[in-house]
Amino acid sequence: MRAFGEIWESNVFQKWLMAISGLLLVGFLLGHLSGNLLVFMGPDAINEYAHGLRTMLHGTAIWIVRFGLLGTFVLHITSAMKLSRRNREARPSRYNTVEHRASTLASRSMLYSGLLLLTYAVYHLAHFTWGVVHSEFYPKASPTGPESNGAEYIPDVYSMVVSSFQVHAISVAYVLAMIMVGLHLNHAIASAFQTLGVRNQRFVPVIRMVGPLLGILVAAGFSSVPLAILAGIVK
Amino acid sequence: MNLRLHIWRQSGPQDAGMLKTYDVANVSEHMSFLEMLDVLNEDLIAKGEVPVAFDHDCREGICGTCGMVINGRPHGPLARTTACQLHMRTFKDGDEIYIEPWRARAFPVIRDLVVDRGSFDRIIQKGGFVSVNTGNAQDGNTLPIPKTDADRAMDAAACIGCGACVAACPNASAMLFTAAKIGHLGSVPQGQAERSTRAMNMVLQMDAEGFGACTNHYECEAACPKGISADFIAQMNKDYVASVFAGRD
Repeated sequence: MRAFGEIWESNVFQKWLMAISGLLLVGFLLGHLSGNLLVFMGPDAINEYAHGLRTMLHGTAIWIVRFGLLGTFVLHITSAMKLSRRNREARPSRYNTVEHRASTLASRSMLYSGLLLLTYAVYHLAHFTWGVVHSEFYPKASPTGPESNGAEYIPDVYSMVVSSFQVHAISVAYVLAMIMVGLHLNHAIASAFQTLGVRNQRFVPVIRMVGPLLGILVAAGFSSVPLAILAGIVK
Repeated sequence: MNLRLHIWRQSGPQDAGMLKTYDVANVSEHMSFLEMLDVLNEDLIAKGEVPVAFDHDCREGICGTCGMVINGRPHGPLARTTACQLHMRTFKDGDEIYIEPWRARAFPVIRDLVVDRGSFDRIIQKGGFVSVNTGNAQDGNTLPIPKTDADRAMDAAACIGCGACVAACPNASAMLFTAAKIGHLGSVPQGQAERSTRAMNMVLQMDAEGFGACTNHYECEAACPKGISADFIAQMNKDYVASVFAGRD
């Protein structure tokens, strides 16, 4: 019997890892989006939601999710790196002319949209979670707030989000990143189902619709927050 | 019609190779693409030059021997057409045509447009067959096969192993070829006994040959002269992982 290591390293197994981790990340995105949209319900809704996330299960829930997410990201990224390296090596000499018949901009740019998203995700965490960039907006939202004389302290995530997105550059970068997410998902979702083997002529039209639809939904949903703030609908 | 051809010339596996330009005159629109190259080669021989090497055999579109990338598309611009069945009426007077070999690490160039597709043979050797005992053939009707399964097997069996899928794939992946072979035998009862080990061994051989991995662009399906569907790749992915869990290898 072949060793587990050999199977793990095989292309199809790596593709499965990428597909499963990718779908988990899509699930996370949808959860994240539902939380973000609470902005439209006013400061208390999103602040209590954020506070709830940090204190759920005595504060352990958020760490379980964070480690799970980190693991999922690592699997997704390492499999992407491995496969794209092998794919490059599989064609050492380039064609003089190539005419694409079926591939799309989204499908050909997965590595690049993925790398840009990774870069953006780090910046995004540094901004909203660690408070190391744009730190002027952070103190009120910090989970370790000022001494609160025994009363429960609820960080003000709402005002951090609103004051951050009132800065045009932050909003523009955010919307561009969300367009990138949409582009990535446009190919990713149908691709994941194909890799997992969920495909026949019954599902193809549905799956080909779900990917772009979810891509647009996620991109538009996330972008609606900074756009509403810039438009002054949320303040 | 008169054409200007830019053809990949490479004297051997170690040679770097380069595109060279040739003018061909008085090409008939009724010629096949390969016949047009024959005319060019007659010219080259008459001039004492080395003719362009290219693979060909049946010239009927069924053997899978011919294959070259014509203007950036394996087997040329027409769908479901091999290079030998591509006729010059598809082109027009004054056209410039770029002709290159299949490019993949697992398909090293032997000379000019001829590549070594031995990697496909080695994938087949790992499981692209059904082991049966010798003796009298059993009565056909003792093995009921639903029509849809037989059709599906036939769709996959249409693969002629030409390698256009690899040539078209941005990752030089052989997944459509391998999936067609696995899907062909996996669709009928005769192939079930070895189904699990077949998927495992053929997929791992494909990796070992240095083919890339599928990123679901579906360029293979568009380039396949037999129109084989990428559905078979999904089936192969499923069969492979099933065989990982089955542990029969």
